[in-house]
Amino acid sequence: MLKKLIILWFITTLSGCGYNSFQSSDETIKASWGEVLNQYQRRADLVPNLVNIVKGYASHEKDVLIQVTQARSKVSSIQVTPELVNDEKAFASFIAAQGQMTQAISSLLAVAESYPELKSSSLFRDLQAQIEGTENRITVARNRYIAAIKEYNITVRSFPSNITAMFFGYRTKNSFTVENEYRISNAPKVDFNTTP
Amino acid sequence: MLIKCRYTIGIFLFLFSATLLAQIEIPTLSQRVTDLTNTLFPEELAALEKKLADFETRKGSQIAVLILPTTEPEDIAAFGIRVADSWKIGRKNIDDGIILIVAKEDRKLRIEVGRGLEGVIPDAIAKRIISEIITPFFKDYHIQGGINAGVDQLIKLIDGEKLPAPNINQVMESIDSNHLTAIIFGLMMLDVFAKVWAGWIRGMFITGIAVVIIGVLVHPESYTEMGSSPLFFISAFFIGIVGSVILKLIMIFNSSKTLNSNFDMSDFSSSDSSSSSSSFSGSGGSFSGGGASGSW
Repeated sequence: MLKKLIILWFITTLSGCGYNSFQSSDETIKASWGEVLNQYQRRADLVPNLVNIVKGYASHEKDVLIQVTQARSKVSSIQVTPELVNDEKAFASFIAAQGQMTQAISSLLAVAESYPELKSSSLFRDLQAQIEGTENRITVARNRYIAAIKEYNITVRSFPSNITAMFFGYRTKNSFTVENEYRISNAPKVDFNTTP
Repeated sequence: MLIKCRYTIGIFLFLFSATLLAQIEIPTLSQRVTDLTNTLFPEELAALEKKLADFETRKGSQIAVLILPTTEPEDIAAFGIRVADSWKIGRKNIDDGIILIVAKEDRKLRIEVGRGLEGVIPDAIAKRIISEIITPFFKDYHIQGGINAGVDQLIKLIDGEKLPAPNINQVMESIDSNHLTAIIFGLMMLDVFAKVWAGWIRGMFITGIAVVIIGVLVHPESYTEMGSSPLFFISAFFIGIVGSVILKLIMIFNSSKTLNSNFDMSDFSSSDSSSSSSSFSGSGGSFSGGGASGSW
């Protein structure tokens, strides 16, 4: 009976020292990171369609089209593993590639503005709505991921759960940062001489 | 001079941060149609409210309409997801809620689509409803007509989707599963302690009494319905004893192995239970940013 009491005591104190909140926030992080990747993938899947339809109406806008295609291939060349979150360098390059993609798509859509025929095509409008919706979903997913990371990192750092964190080797995790944002908001240099 | 300059910068920074932080507060949700601009006449508002309420009783999905002057400085999409997260329109885990937001002075609108309806109303369809059905009315300054036409179209689309029947989770409304887990876990703890402290026969009785008390606290309706008869106490007491015996048996069964307890304590956060009384509230639907925005 004493043994059971000790186990029960353990369960209650473990939840007191934050072990359980580590587990739950870790799962939340995983789930929200999955959602971020999911939405990025959804966007990447939409891009070929977008490129094709713009090509049909504005084939001579080569620069933008090449830029988008390059960004797309760069994004899909990055191996996305769950460990990506823990690897600071890989994470940064992944974020940078996705940022370039955002940039490229928005400049493609801006170019499309000057083609009335393209703009009035219902296929393009549906596609544009889908892309806009996906960009919004990406924003939402990213914000939720940031919130999840924040909760986790607070638990890692604050007392007494930091002792648990030390004991089990939990460390703070990377999130989308302003530095990343700043870097990706600078237009990437694209070499127009190469063909995709 | 230097100090003055510093103050100026300080004040400037303060003002700047103030504008950065200035977000529109989420309006409180008390009915399906929230009109902060007094655009709709009372009878129009009541008619729309009734249409949406009827739709909810028929189909189970919730639709809410919000008309407000402006969402500035925030983008309507960012504002929309904040509203959606706080209102939780739509049923829990079915996520079949829709919020139509009209920012009148910004001349912008947005349809926020719950997760569970993204199949029947994908972004492209939401965009079409905005640009082909609602905004033509809005361009003629006919806000009420646009909202009604848009809502009708949304209802038509959702009607075509197979969703769980309404009121499926009304039974468990007063306690949701999280609270139930907490109660059961607490009772189990009490049971173990009582058995250690007072021996397992007396422990059993203590648990039985605890179940009676919790029963009265959690479900006062059934307690009063049974005319506060001893039947309620006896049955609750009996349930407690049976539970205690089962736990005892499990413990005996498990004593050869190690007691492996992994109770799921993951989300004990207070999720607000919805009440189906006069005021309207969301039933816990979640959103992931689906839908479309438009302007007129």
